[in-house]
Amino acid sequence: MNSMTTRAERKQKIVLQSITFVILGVAFILMWNVLIKTRVVSMQAVSAAPLPNAMPTNLFSDLYLVLLMSFLAILFGIACAFYLQEWLPETNWVRRLIEGLVAILTGIPSLLFGILAIGIFFSYAGTLKMIGGSPVPQNAEAIPVQHDTTLFYAEALTFILMVMPVTIKTTQGALHSIATPIREAAYVLGASKWQVLKRQVMPLAFTRILAGGCRAMSRAFAAAALLIGIYTWHYTTESGKMPGRFMLFLSGALFLSVLSSTLIETHRSSGRNTVNLPR
Amino acid sequence: MLSEKEQPILCIRDLNIWYGDEQILRSLSFEVQQKQVTAFIGPANCGKSTLVRCINRLNDFIPNFKSTGEILFKGVHLDASTDTTALRKQIGMVFRRPILFRCSIYENVAYGARISGVNQSEHLDTIVEKNLRKTGLWGEVENILDETPEQLSRGQQQLLCIARALAVDPEVLIFDEPCGELDPIETVKIETLVRDLTNDCTLIFATNKRRQAARVSDVAGFLYGGELIEFGATEKIFTNPQDNRTEQYVTGRLG
Repeated sequence: MNSMTTRAERKQKIVLQSITFVILGVAFILMWNVLIKTRVVSMQAVSAAPLPNAMPTNLFSDLYLVLLMSFLAILFGIACAFYLQEWLPETNWVRRLIEGLVAILTGIPSLLFGILAIGIFFSYAGTLKMIGGSPVPQNAEAIPVQHDTTLFYAEALTFILMVMPVTIKTTQGALHSIATPIREAAYVLGASKWQVLKRQVMPLAFTRILAGGCRAMSRAFAAAALLIGIYTWHYTTESGKMPGRFMLFLSGALFLSVLSSTLIETHRSSGRNTVNLPR
Repeated sequence: MLSEKEQPILCIRDLNIWYGDEQILRSLSFEVQQKQVTAFIGPANCGKSTLVRCINRLNDFIPNFKSTGEILFKGVHLDASTDTTALRKQIGMVFRRPILFRCSIYENVAYGARISGVNQSEHLDTIVEKNLRKTGLWGEVENILDETPEQLSRGQQQLLCIARALAVDPEVLIFDEPCGELDPIETVKIETLVRDLTNDCTLIFATNKRRQAARVSDVAGFLYGGELIEFGATEKIFTNPQDNRTEQYVTGRLG
């Protein structure tokens, strides 16, 4: 029995490792494409000299929509974390797989996601268009970035990939931190699982879940700022001037990350004596 | 009344429990009679807590938990298909540490009624007052019902936990070392209360204090190394034990 479990564990380890390698490989290929193709595209863009004002405006309207979507992704991530932590046993392979992927994705800095996004926007817009099924504009070659659903899909996918793992990880941590005795004290009074989650776990874990959400949003804002910065510098001839929206998003990111740390800190100082946790 | 007492409320047959590969309890069999205090004594890590937590199926949350044997509550088998929320409303429990919820004293006591769907404030008021009076805490907290229980002493908090458990109106109430962290005066209060409660419900009491078990219980069982060495009337266990190890334990030479 013992050797069986170790064999199963070894198998899972191998699967996880191979998935990691596949992801790293795909990321590497994408990055390579970014390096090669962005240069080509940028030269096209410069030669065509397309509307420097119109393009970023489209991008911004998309970005606001994408930020809204990341907010929804955060809510979905919280739901996922609840399911993983509260319903699936620790030995479940789905849970272990997702936790492994989450660990990999949270480790990737948001800068890389930004570059990944540019790679998808510029290089794979056509492919995504087929998946998204939106009409291709006539002058697709002339203007590399179009305001259509394709761009939105690409941006949204990147943001979700960036936001969800952070949310899942922090929410799981928050749920895990609620000591078992508090849950048991409610269970022995005949409370159901939902009642325990609603009345005991949620009030105690809420601040930390909120802080995790803020952290994830801050990541999204930072990457958005980066994208705007790169695009704008790319398309404005007079360089060296900071675009206003770039600063807006960057300060948004900073504000959210500070808020997240503050929430955790206040939670820690106020929550210490409210419940008799085992010492 | 007598015929009702004869039928055991809880019947355990050949219970074995494992955590992973480690066997915690070995082939226990005993019966718990209604409206009596049944105490389980034994040194630390002998399986007292595991045993009492089996009765309200609280061990189900532990991964790698495995059990064989039968537990019958009022003649009904308890197994994985049992409706645990309904079961736990009939079998209450008080832990070693007073674990109170982060809300007012009133809401703590009213918790059980609220999750059962009672919302009328008059009804809740009567439940809260009745159970706080039962535990003798009413006079002390009457004026601070809307405040959090942090300011209460450990003993008062434990009494509040008992009031909260009683508010569900259980038939069996399990105490898992309720005086483990209390001073002697508070301990006496709880012990007196436990004796009084036998009018309302059946009590199961796990403790590692021999004298406490002798004072409180009608029936006692001695657990040692996961085995039930001896089970019988408290007086007999403490004055005329059959097994050598029981004698050594109750006289203080073992454990």
